[in-house]
Formats: sequence, structure tokens, C-alpha cells
Amino acid sequence: MIVSLESLSFASHGKMVLSDITTVISDRALTCLVGPNGAGKTTLLRILGGELRATSGTFLIDGSDASAFSQKEVARHFSIIPQDVQPPPHFTVFELVALGRSHPSRRALWWQLSESGHDAVRSYLARCQVEQLSKRRVEELSGGEQQRAWLAFGLAQEKRFLLLDETLDGLDILAKQSFFKLLKELAAEGKGVLLTTHDLDLVTQFADRVIVLNDGRVSYEGPPRANLQHLIFRPGDWK
Amino acid sequence: MRRFFIIIGVLVLILLMGMLIGIALGPVKVDAYRLFNAILMRGDASAHILVWDLRMPRVVAALLVGACLGVSGCLLQSSTRNPLGDPQLFGLGGGAAVVQALAMAGTLRTGSWGLIALSVVASLIGAGAIALFASRQGISPARLALIGVSLSALAAAAATGILAEARVFGQQSLNFIGGSFGNRGWADVVPALPFFGIGLVLALPAMGKLNALALGDRVAANLGAEPQRTRAIAIAASGILGGAAVAVAGLVGFVGLLIPHLARLLVGHDIRAILVISIPLGAAVTLFADQAARLLFLPSEVPVGLVTALVGAPLMIYVARRVL
Repeated sequence: MIVSLESLSFASHGKMVLSDITTVISDRALTCLVGPNGAGKTTLLRILGGELRATSGTFLIDGSDASAFSQKEVARHFSIIPQDVQPPPHFTVFELVALGRSHPSRRALWWQLSESGHDAVRSYLARCQVEQLSKRRVEELSGGEQQRAWLAFGLAQEKRFLLLDETLDGLDILAKQSFFKLLKELAAEGKGVLLTTHDLDLVTQFADRVIVLNDGRVSYEGPPRANLQHLIFRPGDWK
Repeated sequence: MRRFFIIIGVLVLILLMGMLIGIALGPVKVDAYRLFNAILMRGDASAHILVWDLRMPRVVAALLVGACLGVSGCLLQSSTRNPLGDPQLFGLGGGAAVVQALAMAGTLRTGSWGLIALSVVASLIGAGAIALFASRQGISPARLALIGVSLSALAAAAATGILAEARVFGQQSLNFIGGSFGNRGWADVVPALPFFGIGLVLALPAMGKLNALALGDRVAANLGAEPQRTRAIAIAASGILGGAAVAVAGLVGFVGLLIPHLARLLVGHDIRAILVISIPLGAAVTLFADQAARLLFLPSEVPVGLVTALVGAPLMIYVARRVL
């Protein structure tokens, strides 16, 4: 499954946030989106998740024009864990991950987690190494444990792509390394993972592909390479 | 699931017990035989009037208002992610309070049906304001609560001003501000029933999506929960229920705030279960509070809001310390 963006632009309040983005994001790969603050990384993720609509350009999911899709239809392909995600009050880790399987709809009123659903939730908890925390409240966990719980929630939705927006912020280096390793394994198993991050060393070590955004434009895309920091500029410096 | 139905069963038994107390006890003594016959609509006329025209409407009014406030608070708390969500604290009941004050002052002259309808409309205006603020991205629960409390204080000031200007003092004002079920007849209760039904039916399509709203709007939208629409529906339903409750009993405090937290302690965090439990739980708490308000100080009675505050405040402090 492939997501292609062709000459995609997005403007907000008369200001260009993304300009002429042309790139491909495929499943079975860990793609890292890097760039300075304000480069448009979150905006690009929000367009991919169907929250925002591009001002111009083409957004294709497996060759179908996604700009004609509703947010619900686009979201069918992408699980999003936003940058500022807050732990739901009172929910245990198990309840959070189970909610990932709920697919709210008209029938959601009567929805119950089936036995196979229970098994699936347990398997995703184990996959993200939070099975032993399943009865703890999400808000009581450490930053790294919370991020793993959210990742299990994203996986439980069983969508093709995972969009993670600066999920690793605030974690120590060991937690980050272990998280990257897990993302790499998930990508190897077939999931498309798109992660925005500032951890360039880890990107170089683990990513399959890197997209560098500067001032809303793609300044590099390809395999990770040494000295990625030289490709990132202060806002306004890049021409 | 078994636990859920056991809790429902226990609450129904408690409700039946409360109803029996509400019908059997009071300043006028009725022996068990006459009471039994009156409940079955047999026997003498005086017992029939006492049971069916005086005590039963009051019992039904307490059940209805408690259920309305419980569900209303639950919808507000879940849709705004705010543990302080309460129809009165958030100003939803404020509009209805102004309408009631205008009616008590004699400025607004209309029948029971018109009065309840106007109260619900006024409450919906408050609900619209809260829905508008709540839909803004990045508004914190604390800021939303501050806006709600301000709206509520404004409406309370307007209602008090109207009562003072019209020189409606004494027991009538006290009953309104503190909430009361005294002298409620079928004419006060029956017009509120359709609004209770409308509020519940309106809330139904939102109920299944409210759990996802606990994850924040962006994640909820990604799950397909349509957060803006779901929140608007939930707050509108909350406004209808809150407005109907104020129209029947005045400002009964703490029920809308407390019941969702108590329900959560009983059945966990699934908002669908909390909403269902809030109906009998809100009804039971309000019914027993009213029995205490009318029986503990015979021959006089105190506003029911006084009892709900006396019981609710320590419980709320416990919930705040142990659960929130």
C-alpha cells in the first residue's frame, strides 16, 4: 500500500504552511519526518489523517484520490497519535487499548469487546511490552510507558499506517532507542510507520527513509545519511 | 456485565423502597391497609387523594428530576472532558432559572407546558454557549469550568434580581433557590416527561461515541467519533434535561455533579454504563434527599438542595481525594 503526495500545498490564514510537497510513503517501512519547529511536519500528518484538506495538489491512497474522501474514509487507513495527546482520565491501559478496537458508529451503543477482541488487545499489549501494566491507570504511568500504551492503542486499530507526531519527546535515550527498535520491527512486519522527530542520531540508526522538511518544503528525501543536521535550517534560512 | 445488572437491580429495589416511604410517610398518618387499597386505587377517597394526588406526584417529580440531573451531568462531564461538568455549575440551568424567576414574579404568564418549554429553550441557549466554547481547540477543562461558573453566576444574579424586584421573598424564593418538590402536582410533572424522553433519545446516538471523546478530539476524530457533532448533541441533550429539571424543582444542587462520579465508582469508566446507571442512581439520591427534606423537620420542611449539599459535599470531597 502506497500513499503518494504530488505538488501538495496547504495555506492557512494567507500563509503557505506546505508548498509543493511531492513524496511517497509506503507501508513496510519506518519513515521519519524531520525538520525544525514550524516546518509543517504536524500539518502534513494532519492532512494525511484527513483532519485538514490540502489547498492544492494530489493526495493518493493506493492510486485513489483521497481528497474526495471524507475524514472518516481517510482515517480508515491511518492511526494517529498526536503530539499533545492527553491520557484519558481514569482509563486503565487495557481499557485504552480496547477503545482502539471500538470503531464508534451507530452500533457503538451496544458494542462489546469480543473474546477474540480480548485476545487481540492482549497481544498488542504484549507486543508493546505493557501487558504487565494493563490494569494500571494510563495517567499513572511514566512517559515511556504511556507512549507504549498509546502505540498499542494505535496498533489495536489495525490500520495500515501509524502516524506518530513527536511521540518520543521527553523520553530518555534508552526509552527512545527501545521505542525506535519496536517501530522498526513493526515496519518489518508490514506496518507503514511515519514518525516526526528531532532525534536525528536515532533516525540515522533506525529509519528506512527520511523526509526533511524546511519552511514547508521537502529539502531531502531518501535513505538516512550521516550529518542529517546539516539539512535542517532555521525557519526563513532555507531557500 | 453481571455486576452491572446486579447494581441496576439493587438500585431498583432502593427506588421502590424510597417510593414506598414517599407515599406512606408524612404529616398525615395512613394505616397500611388503607395505603395498600389506595395504591390499588380502591378504598376511601381521602386516602386516594393523599396517595395519588399529593404524594405520588411529588415522588415522581423527585425521580424525574434526579434522573434528568444525573444524565445531564454525565453528558456534560463526558463530552467536555471536565469532571466539574454539571448543568447548574455550567450555567445550563441558569437560563431556565431566569424563566422560572420571571414566572414567579408574574412577568411571564403561561401554563405548565409553556413554562417548561420556555425553561428548556433558555437552558438550550446556555448549552449553546458552552458548546461553542467547548468546541474551541485547546480550551482547557479549567477555563471551560470558569466560563460555565461565570455564566451560572450571571444567570443566578439575574434570577435573584428579578425575584427581589418583584418582591418575591420568603419561602417561595427559598424553595426555588434551594430546590423543592413541595406541592408538586401532576400538572407540574407530566409536561416534563416528554422533555426527559427527548433528552434521552437525543443523547442515544452520541452515547456510543462519548468514550472516544475522552481521548481528545484529534484521536476521537481518527476513530470516527465525530467529536464536534457528538459534543453538540450531548450538550444539547444535557441542556434539555437540565432545563426540565429546573422547571420542575428549581435549583437542586450537587446531583448533576456528583452522580456521574458515584456511577463511575460503581460501574467503571465505560460512559455508556455510567449514563444508564445515572438514571436510577440520580433518581434514588434525589428521592431520598426529598424524603429527608420533608420528613426530618416535620411539620415544616427544608429545601431539598440543602440535603443534597449536606450529603453531596462530603461525598464529593471523598471522590475528589480518592478518585479524580
